[in-house]
Amino acid sequence: MSKTYSLTLTIKRYDPERSVSWFQTYRLEAGPILRFVDLFRKINVELDATLAWASSCEHAQCGSCSVNINGRPMLACELLVENAVALFGVTEFKITPVSVAPVVRDLVVDWEKAYERVHRSKPYLIKPKKLPPGMTGFRISPAELSRYEEATRCINCFCCAEACISGNRNFIGPNAAMASIVRMMDPREEGKDERLNLLYSEEGIYRCHTSKACSHVCPKKIDVAHFLALAKEGAF
Amino acid sequence: MGKKLRIHSTLACDVLIIGAGGAGLRCAALLHERRPDLSIIAVTKVAHPQKSHTSTAQGGMAAVDPKDKVDKPIYHMFDTWKGGDCSSDQNVIKKIIEGGWEEVQWLEQKGIHFSRDEEGNIAKRQFGGHTLEFGKGDALRAVFVADRTGKGMMDTVWGEALKGGSLFLNSTVITELLFNQGCCVGAVLFKIKQGEFITVLAKATVLATGGSGQVFRITTNCRNNTGDGLAVILRAGLPVMDPEAVQFHPTGIVGPGILASEALRSEGGILRNRELEPFMERYAPKMKDLAPRDIVARAIETEIREGRGIMNPDHQIEHVWIDLRHLPDYVHEVKLKEVASFFKTYVNLDSRTQLCPVRPSNHYHMGGIPTNEHGEVQDAANRVVPGLFAVGECACASLHGFNRLGTNSLLELLVMGRYVGERVLSYLREKQVSGPKGAGEASLALFANYLEAQGRENLGMIRQEMREVMTRRVGVFRIEKGIEEAIASLIAFKQRTARIAISTKDMRMNQELLERWELDNLLDNAMTIAQAALMRKESRGAHFREDYPERSDEFQFHTLVSMTEFGKVSFGKRPIDMSIYESKGEHHEQFRVMPRRY
Repeated sequence: MSKTYSLTLTIKRYDPERSVSWFQTYRLEAGPILRFVDLFRKINVELDATLAWASSCEHAQCGSCSVNINGRPMLACELLVENAVALFGVTEFKITPVSVAPVVRDLVVDWEKAYERVHRSKPYLIKPKKLPPGMTGFRISPAELSRYEEATRCINCFCCAEACISGNRNFIGPNAAMASIVRMMDPREEGKDERLNLLYSEEGIYRCHTSKACSHVCPKKIDVAHFLALAKEGAF
Repeated sequence: MGKKLRIHSTLACDVLIIGAGGAGLRCAALLHERRPDLSIIAVTKVAHPQKSHTSTAQGGMAAVDPKDKVDKPIYHMFDTWKGGDCSSDQNVIKKIIEGGWEEVQWLEQKGIHFSRDEEGNIAKRQFGGHTLEFGKGDALRAVFVADRTGKGMMDTVWGEALKGGSLFLNSTVITELLFNQGCCVGAVLFKIKQGEFITVLAKATVLATGGSGQVFRITTNCRNNTGDGLAVILRAGLPVMDPEAVQFHPTGIVGPGILASEALRSEGGILRNRELEPFMERYAPKMKDLAPRDIVARAIETEIREGRGIMNPDHQIEHVWIDLRHLPDYVHEVKLKEVASFFKTYVNLDSRTQLCPVRPSNHYHMGGIPTNEHGEVQDAANRVVPGLFAVGECACASLHGFNRLGTNSLLELLVMGRYVGERVLSYLREKQVSGPKGAGEASLALFANYLEAQGRENLGMIRQEMREVMTRRVGVFRIEKGIEEAIASLIAFKQRTARIAISTKDMRMNQELLERWELDNLLDNAMTIAQAALMRKESRGAHFREDYPERSDEFQFHTLVSMTEFGKVSFGKRPIDMSIYESKGEHHEQFRVMPRRY
């Protein structure tokens, strides 16, 4: 028989109708390999149908379910109960929405607002190189690709931006900056001047204090700080 | 309480694309490229297009490189025809497969990060069912972006739609299609965050709302895949096609259902039951664990049904084991890195030393909104509905027939996305928009009903029970009595939904209200799947009837199902296109109706 944990989840709620926020505590029994999204669903079915929370793919490929768990930004879909207990050494968890975007209700934030920064960073080739005549594809060696391939794994969950000590007001943020850095390193991008203007602008990478919090919290284990460092050096 | 629901505003645009995943945004990108002056609204249910289900596709996209010396499009067409159990439309097969490499080039020029070979060219990998010379050898046909091909594609098409100037309506769903004199002229949308209904009038409307995997308890599909587009189509009096053609991947990870790739078995993983017996030896003595998807899925289900499965106590799901313990560390750490890490992340097991729990997981719906080869939606009499297009998993053209080959879905999303864009352009020239009377009244009434309902039924419990019944009775194995029981259960669930009270009355980000509407959509989808599965007294592709285990020529047609009142279905037929066979061209004999044996 598998063991169960007696958990206490204290969740920050927000009701847009009354513009009120409060903390609500839920106590539940859960098996070791339930994930936090499973706990939220369990709360909805067994305790409180009104709790709103966000998720989509629920296996760390879309970055919709980022929340702060005991102060740490994480994806609720990949945190198992037993791992959370091991990581924090407690069975009480305080869960708050991320602060990189305004809260809509409870744990649901307005991701659109957070994404505005990624959009400013132009997540596409501004001026794509033309395919050489007679070629059906470009030649990009695996070695060249491997310089920036890690950065292309970013799912824009904004955990890095949430953890960033440089704040969210003046800095475009680690993930948004990385979206531009990756295309600076891509041999198919010919619009590099525009990218440099953005990266070295007032909201650009010199706002970064190199705390490396971004790399530390990234659920995809991307060394975000490495890419920001390359940009600071101009070593694209 | 008692707040009157209303339409908050009306927008107008040239093209309304509902669903901003791979297919919808490929269509948007084409439209922006060809006609930068067009106004395009792209609607997505998720918080941002990048969160779409397309982003989760792992393996690759099949396309024949014209520079390939051994591979040919005709071989790919054959594989698709055979894999689909001779139930795909050959005109569609030909059109999509011939357009494949053009899409690869498009993606390559728009910045996708394809994996490369040593010379720096786009790398290719082999995938099950893809062969050379009509089954003689394995084809290297799938281009890929490491183990995240769907994400690579999604990022690229999203970037292009953004660059082109699409207006995105995120966290928004379609509740109703609008028609005027038989033409589709737009839709009623519900903006989830704001809790507002709007109408959008459009010269052309494209449905690209994705799959309906949440109908089943164990699924690889995301939380949002509740078949909304199909439910809206049914409510408009239009049919869905081949809903009974549902693919189950043999090895989903217990409990979330996350896909554990075929690679586990091709690298030497062995399926074992409760007694640790390597049971595939009994089902497929020669191919054992490497037998095709449907055979392995049925073998696992049989083991579980006959009491040789294992119950996972946390998720309350029965499963079998996959044993990877004998494989060298190199395989775990390099070749199966991503999948091995899934076991670690989601069940906290080390695949090098521990058995890992897997079971069949709903994966893909081959059926959907019937369209012709241009993506134009058809009615029950196979006539085109002017102004309405459908593409992607919600649509059925049909490329996949009754069983989809791996890597053919990403191909379909992109190529059909482009073709639909092209068709929309030729359609736009003549048409003007005018709105119908009473637009949105049906949606407002539906949601008002949800908000006013009284009772003690639990939404989450009904959903859970429905998904359980569908998995047990209309899943991998189907039999008359079981399907009939499922239909009776669905009717009972539907009756219980009338007694669900919604406690959150404020409309903004009202998750209860959204899930209430989704439950109706899920039930509609479940009912059409079950009814079509009951009607089709044969086994074909992924549709397996224990009481009729063979394919029958009597059922050599596409199912059309209409349902305007819950549970009351009417069936129609659409012939399967055999134009490659009938052309009498080179190799046409490979496109006859033949047994599906591997």
